[in-house]
Amino acid sequence: MKTCLIVDDSRVVRKVAARIVRDLKFDVLEAGDGADAMRQCRQKMPDAILLDWNMPVMNGLDFLRALRREEGGKHPLVVFCSIENDAEHINEALSSGADEFIMKPFDADILESKFAEVGLV
Amino acid sequence: MQEEVFNELAELALKGSGQAIPKSKSYLIEARLAAIARREGFGTMADLVHCLKSRANPVFAAEVASALVSKDTCFFRDRDALKRVVDDILPKRLKASNTGRLKVWCAGGSTGQEAYSLAILLEDELPASLRGAKIDILSTDICKVSTETARVARYGHYEVQKGLSIHRLVKHFTRLETGQWEASEALRSRVSFRQHNLLERADGLGNFDVILCRNVLSGMARASRTKVIESVSKQMMPGGMILLGGGESVIGLTDKLEPARHFRGGWVAAGTANAEASAA
Repeated sequence: MKTCLIVDDSRVVRKVAARIVRDLKFDVLEAGDGADAMRQCRQKMPDAILLDWNMPVMNGLDFLRALRREEGGKHPLVVFCSIENDAEHINEALSSGADEFIMKPFDADILESKFAEVGLV
Repeated sequence: MQEEVFNELAELALKGSGQAIPKSKSYLIEARLAAIARREGFGTMADLVHCLKSRANPVFAAEVASALVSKDTCFFRDRDALKRVVDDILPKRLKASNTGRLKVWCAGGSTGQEAYSLAILLEDELPASLRGAKIDILSTDICKVSTETARVARYGHYEVQKGLSIHRLVKHFTRLETGQWEASEALRSRVSFRQHNLLERADGLGNFDVILCRNVLSGMARASRTKVIESVSKQMMPGGMILLGGGESVIGLTDKLEPARHFRGGWVAAGTANAEASAA
């Protein structure tokens, strides 16, 4: 079974996203910020990462740039998931290594559609 | 919903748009008519029916009937079929054409996502064999509001996130201050829109190389399906193709079409599938 790391400082968002992602047949891991996510990735790279932008300690963009420099860090498909949904932010996320981008708020259909776009489902 | 109210609205849907709405789906009627009821200040569906019967306003009745049609659509719904239209069917049609011009009709195209998806494929993945061809896409829908939405080409947060990759969103759409996303001029210039009821004659729309009539027949009563497919197939150019949605068929509805040999969901004029196969 594929694994998906959900990185968001909101416990509520993680809980909602985890339920949807489990329905898509993923094992789910959770992290509350970028630094925690990086620790988990260094132990074992997940197949997918659903990544928030604004978080304490290490934000999503810094995490993504650091991840892509890590050994094996190009493997996870990263779907950014943010309230910052103007073209400038989206392009910044893509040029930093994101594979897809979800504009919050989202529902199960959107998440499944975006996972399908990158071949995760 | 009271049975009498349901019967009146189901009858209106059948006559006005060919839709067969079973009693078990009466909730669809309430959902689809909610906006009209709110706008007109009707507290209940019974109030709306009372108005329809007492006012005898055919324009309002037609609006209600068109609102009862499903608006379900999304970008790149059945991506493989759209891709094969662009990669396989249109190049073959171009070879057979002596004008260099191809015409595609999205019949029952709702709010335009299917037509714009084709336009995106033509922009992003145009096969070499189609270079220089003039490809016109017409999308029609019974609903005036849907047709206008398609023409304006502005889509909301949820609509642009279903079926459309983020790369295509930022490439082909611009985010407006309202939060909506507007399709580029390049896309809009490829597509035109008209309000059209598929139960009516379609002669005025012209003839087409490819007609996409996907997920339209499935919600209709059998007699309506026959009427629609007979009408739509008259607009198919010789050698053209009609594409239906997954699970849809015209078997038993008309003897003027037969399944295309090399395109699942494709239908060609009866007696021509072998010719289509040998041309493939």
